[in-house]
Amino acid sequence: MKGPGAQALDVPLRRTLPRITDRLALLGAALLALITLAAVLAPWLAPYPADRLDPVLGLTPPSAEHWFGTDSLGRDLFTRVMHGGRTSLFIAVAVLVLSAGVGVTLGVVAGYAGGWIRDVIMRITDVFLAFPALLLSVALAVVLGPSVTTVIVAIAVTWWPWYTRLAASMAASIATRGYVDAARCLGVPAPLIILRHVLPNSLTPVLVQISLDAGGVILIAAALSYLGVGAQEPTAEWGLMVGQSQTLFTTNWWAVTFPGLAILVTAFAFNVLGEGLRSALDPRSVRT
Amino acid sequence: MIEVRDLQVRYGERTVARVPELDVREGECVAIVGESGSGKSTTLLSLLGLTEGAHVSGRVRVCGVDVLQATPRRLREIRGARVALVMQSPQAALSPATRLGTLMRRALKLHGVGGGRVEQVMRDAVEAVMLEHRILRRYPHEISGGQAQRFAIALAIALGAEVILADEPTSALDVTVQAEVVGVLRRLREERGLALLLVSHDLALVSTIADRVLVMKDGEVVEAGPAAVVLAEPSHPYTRELLEALP
Amino acid sequence: MTMLRAEGVTLGYGGTPVVHDVSLDITEGGVGLIGESGSGKTTLARAFLGLLTPMSGNIWYGDQTLKKADQRRFRKDVQPVFQAEALDPRMRIGGSVAEGLPRDERHRVPELLRQVGLDPELAERRPHQLSGGQRQRVVIARALAVGPRLLILDEPTSALDVTVQARILDLLASLDTERLLITHNLAVVGRLCRTSHVLFAGRVVEAGATAELLDRPAHPYTLALRDAVPKLGGRPPVARGRTEARPAETGCAFRLRCPLAVAACERAPALRETAGRQVACHRAEDVLDGLSGVREREDVPDG
Repeated sequence: MKGPGAQALDVPLRRTLPRITDRLALLGAALLALITLAAVLAPWLAPYPADRLDPVLGLTPPSAEHWFGTDSLGRDLFTRVMHGGRTSLFIAVAVLVLSAGVGVTLGVVAGYAGGWIRDVIMRITDVFLAFPALLLSVALAVVLGPSVTTVIVAIAVTWWPWYTRLAASMAASIATRGYVDAARCLGVPAPLIILRHVLPNSLTPVLVQISLDAGGVILIAAALSYLGVGAQEPTAEWGLMVGQSQTLFTTNWWAVTFPGLAILVTAFAFNVLGEGLRSALDPRSVRT
Repeated sequence: MIEVRDLQVRYGERTVARVPELDVREGECVAIVGESGSGKSTTLLSLLGLTEGAHVSGRVRVCGVDVLQATPRRLREIRGARVALVMQSPQAALSPATRLGTLMRRALKLHGVGGGRVEQVMRDAVEAVMLEHRILRRYPHEISGGQAQRFAIALAIALGAEVILADEPTSALDVTVQAEVVGVLRRLREERGLALLLVSHDLALVSTIADRVLVMKDGEVVEAGPAAVVLAEPSHPYTRELLEALP
Repeated sequence: MTMLRAEGVTLGYGGTPVVHDVSLDITEGGVGLIGESGSGKTTLARAFLGLLTPMSGNIWYGDQTLKKADQRRFRKDVQPVFQAEALDPRMRIGGSVAEGLPRDERHRVPELLRQVGLDPELAERRPHQLSGGQRQRVVIARALAVGPRLLILDEPTSALDVTVQARILDLLASLDTERLLITHNLAVVGRLCRTSHVLFAGRVVEAGATAELLDRPAHPYTLALRDAVPKLGGRPPVARGRTEARPAETGCAFRLRCPLAVAACERAPALRETAGRQVACHRAEDVLDGLSGVREREDVPDG
């Protein structure tokens, strides 16, 4: 809304855009709440025990008794999808906590300190960024054996450098603020300045990025399990379920479709929530 | 050029600006003086119908258009073309990856100026604000705040503006640069009969350029009249306070 | 003996100097540092605060260089007052004011807020809930908490409304501290500083008693600055020379903007003594004499 000419065009557009993202973000938050609840309470809410086999009922299509149908071993897919959410969400949370914890810590130190400390930390992130996540996981699976832990470690190892970069650039800009200089002039030690001023004020974009990333982590985790280096039978995991049933798609569509939809919906929910957070926390869209 | 009667701008229950009377004639400079929260910027924006979410009542005529009754399309016609808005930091509104010349050419095209006249119009406008012609080849981040402000004015001139509404156009600038921008505005007034409505907190600056002054406080006009009279013999205590605060 | 002193200081970022060979004593009665944006005034202030190490030259704190001096004592003695934006947006006001206080002295926060004219109850608020003037007072209270003898004031009022600005200046003038005031506003300097230094492109171009400089500038740049300040009921501000000309790389840095530039200006002028002040200009005498077309009598400010 500054300067002549320009404002006539952008006012109506900017007015309507935030509203749309706001509604989508709410939808995302609601979906996530539902998915999380279903996953956490799966042992109590699910209509059947997770591992109940019933070969007689193998690959039955969706019905009143089995809403999502059953898989080739006759397990209720609705139950499996709920339990699969436990694994997938756990992987996502574990990866994000680990990588954000390490990444942000190194990032704010690098951004605040600058100079050679920053250079060293940034070179280290470059090295880790050079590893492709999938390849590293396959290698780790060989060493550690395929498991949920392998997936978490493999993704986290390639994931944290992004948070370091983001946090470092935020922290570097916070470090030039008047209140940081004032604290330095008052003789506040550097670690305390980082903890008290730099970290809290750098965190917002990182939180936004985390919610945007959660969807991606779930997708990669699913891909790894699909490739067989992640979760193993009889653990329920969405990617694994898709992988095991993919050959059945033309004949028994439900066995692939429902776990696949679960992945898609969750990733979508995280993304729109992240976008919503981003526009809500972006000062440019709040002010003016 | 501008005629305001009983203007009232309200957000919900709160009245943020009330202006009983405000006229700006051709070649005249009127200043609205006040501090933050006085309603001076709101008043300015309401003249272009830019106070979104506000309830505006009264009568506002700008270049013969009844702003409060006009359709959005009619408003867009006068905005930019006949009435230009100059804000505190115009650089923010300039698209960063576009050369200033391209920007001006696009704006001209949008308002129906095209063909062979364009280059001449652009040259005149840039000269009118005492910028060098080669500035048109620069990108927004390559120019200083004072140059950006003068470019914003040049854009208004090129589009054939008759009225300039300026909101604190120089308060982000160094004094020497401010002097240049003020010099440009004065010349345009004298040579082209441009009408100028200036919003400012700087009484000293206003006293050197404005013909008439409105002093606003908490959304109300507390004093209005010829600049020389208001500033020499202020009748309202608040005006006196403002004058005494000058360093 | 002055508490803080710059001696032949050259400052820069990433190896590029922006302040060249500046010597400056922070003497009693307040010192003003005047210049436009980009003149290097804030860089110099950061050096005085020990936030930036000189590329060459020294900052002297008493009889020791800043690097060797006792940091604890220095931090208690010298404090900055930045613009009102210098408050952590997430921190409560009380927390900001207490930042420099040891734990057992936190109880002094209400007293400090009262000292700068604020209601102690504001301690529970956050910066965005305060007005610009109140925030500026908080910034001052934070600096006063450690009992400084010298305040480095960097544009402490330029973002404020005039009436608020006047009250903040009153507050600063009433404080019992020495001060270095960095500003582009000549009128403010007149109130708070006995002596002033005018900085252009990282060099001191004129220095002396503030009243003298404003009354009878000897450097064309000081003259341009003074005449650009609008005066109530006065003539419109005068623009002298084109401000967009960049500082010259060789010779006098001001010569491309200077309406008086002559061939001699291609030689860099040294800072020299004339008419009771220091000035770096070959044509200082002509400026002082009021060369016709350079200055107009009616422009002289009253007081």
